[in-house]
Amino acid sequence: MKWKKLGKIFDPTKFDLPDGCAEFAQSPQALVFGDFVRIYFSTRSVDKANGKYLSHVAFVDMDEAMREVIAVSRHTVIELGKLGCFDEHGIFPMNVLRHGGRVLGYTCGWSRRVSVSVDTAIGLAISRDDGRTFQRIGDGPVLAASLREPCLVGDPFVGVFGNVHHMWYIFGTGWKKFSADAAPDRTYKIGHAVSNDGVNWVKEEGRRIIDDRLGADESQALPSVIRIGRTYHMFFCYRQSHDFRTNRSRSYRIGHAHSDDLADWTRNDDDPGLDVTEGDWDSDMLCYPHAFECRGKVYLLYNGNEFGRYGFGLAVLE
Amino acid sequence: MFKWKKLGKVFTPQDVAGRSWLKEFAQAPCGLIFDRFVRIYFSCRPRADDNGQYVSYSAYVDVDRADPTKVLDVSARPILELGALGEFDEFGTYPVSVARSGSEVRAYYGGWTRCESVPFNVAIGFATSQDEGRTFTKAGKGPVLPYTPDEPFILGGPKIRFFDDTWYLWYIAGRKWKPVDGRPEPVYKIRMASSPDGIHWSKANRDLIESRIEEDEAQASPDVFYCNGRYHMFFCYRYSGRYRGRENGYRIGYASSEDLTRWVRDDSKAGLDVSDAGWDSEMVSYPHVFALDERIYMAYLGNQVGKHGFGLARLEGTLT
Repeated sequence: MKWKKLGKIFDPTKFDLPDGCAEFAQSPQALVFGDFVRIYFSTRSVDKANGKYLSHVAFVDMDEAMREVIAVSRHTVIELGKLGCFDEHGIFPMNVLRHGGRVLGYTCGWSRRVSVSVDTAIGLAISRDDGRTFQRIGDGPVLAASLREPCLVGDPFVGVFGNVHHMWYIFGTGWKKFSADAAPDRTYKIGHAVSNDGVNWVKEEGRRIIDDRLGADESQALPSVIRIGRTYHMFFCYRQSHDFRTNRSRSYRIGHAHSDDLADWTRNDDDPGLDVTEGDWDSDMLCYPHAFECRGKVYLLYNGNEFGRYGFGLAVLE
Repeated sequence: MFKWKKLGKVFTPQDVAGRSWLKEFAQAPCGLIFDRFVRIYFSCRPRADDNGQYVSYSAYVDVDRADPTKVLDVSARPILELGALGEFDEFGTYPVSVARSGSEVRAYYGGWTRCESVPFNVAIGFATSQDEGRTFTKAGKGPVLPYTPDEPFILGGPKIRFFDDTWYLWYIAGRKWKPVDGRPEPVYKIRMASSPDGIHWSKANRDLIESRIEEDEAQASPDVFYCNGRYHMFFCYRYSGRYRGRENGYRIGYASSEDLTRWVRDDSKAGLDVSDAGWDSEMVSYPHVFALDERIYMAYLGNQVGKHGFGLARLEGTLT
């Protein structure tokens, strides 16, 4: 199997975005409709109170060939959380799927801390208008920190296989100052939980299901699982836990693992592999992959340089 | 109405020397009975930092079993360490509730972190002791009771009990942050969870105690005691705003239940109110009821939510 790059397909700076957002189209995630594909992404406004970012969910509808933009959302897709709630300062990303005649949105909510920058948890919101807007089921999360997953539970991906809801997600293992004058950096790993109803989840509680390639300080993010033939494939991104924002040798790359039973995963980043392209929009970084199927083809949405500040691109599996 | 005879303040943290982490406050007393003494856990604070911010530790005093108003010893160090950078209990371990389980002592405690838009958040941690409750080891770096859709923040004030082969955890769950006089004040309600092992919990997911003084009444310290065929809960409650003085401050409430799930509130029975003068003249809060040698006692806090220590009262008669 081999990915063929189709280039950048969406640049957020060329469109009017809702909620006062101007840049960033991060973590694109597809919902396939009859004759178009809706791609949700997280974009950013600036918090007037302190100049920090707030992440909001928006979407773009594209033709089924994934070439033309049909429309970009101009309304609030999901409100940010209330004062003191886990998703008060951003939703990034939101994983969207159809199940039981409804459209479900699993959110990664962000709230700011004092000694470290942020914590996250996973919420559930439901759409009653076919994915145009979402309403959360409660002010709190459906998956949050626990004894062996102490912080930064986020990046959900939910798939229903054999009547069981599976969630792959990330959990923080801890924060660390890698040098005396540096801000604290976090490390996170990919975990797994199951559920009968999509609301009440049972975690594997701290089991790291994907082997490290870069050692203990590897951070793994945004798992996305798709079944191709008889095999399940997981795409995710990984990087060093510090000095990863501007140092291209330590920044995000796309990882891959496969499984026959959704329990044991074999990591194999190179088959199919996706690497940076010199001189292009994804020359320094590859992150936030999302695999989906449309009209018999398997696609991978992903972000390139600067974590998706200038949009996302697409690859197709050959 | 129950009749409590106040025995006065028992422990004053300002009187303790040589412990930099124990300068003020002795909050949320909780007893563990030994042959010759009662170990009363509490939460305390060193001096505030340059920004006026506190951290909190938990520790204990041993009081004489024959006369529990007499302090025999004060713990040499806190029973729990603060959490590491970014962990849920980085800035405080308050309060703590303990219970024996075989040869070990179990502790459930509130872990405090600091937030940007609101001052703090709380989650409940779990730790065990193999040395008769002198030191505790945390079961993990994260909390034992997770936030859920209906309990979004401030899971705190745990009280652990064991009835009929089941562990019960009473605690408070934040409902909203209410802006009062330009600052967010937390509103929280009494909740409950049960567990076969004390680690995997099933939440009741509802408020156990109806609010009485206002919709946004805050409730805390749900202390459940079994006596004469029924469960008795003493707790405390306050108004949502301007609660740091006598007018709107904490008072002690009461509810009872036959089955641990349906509770009937009747504060008029609680029987312990503020004094006209002295250390508990503005507020009474954080009750803990325990039986000792055929007598029933209540440990509780007075003014400024225990800044100057805790006291004891003894029941005259029984709880029915």
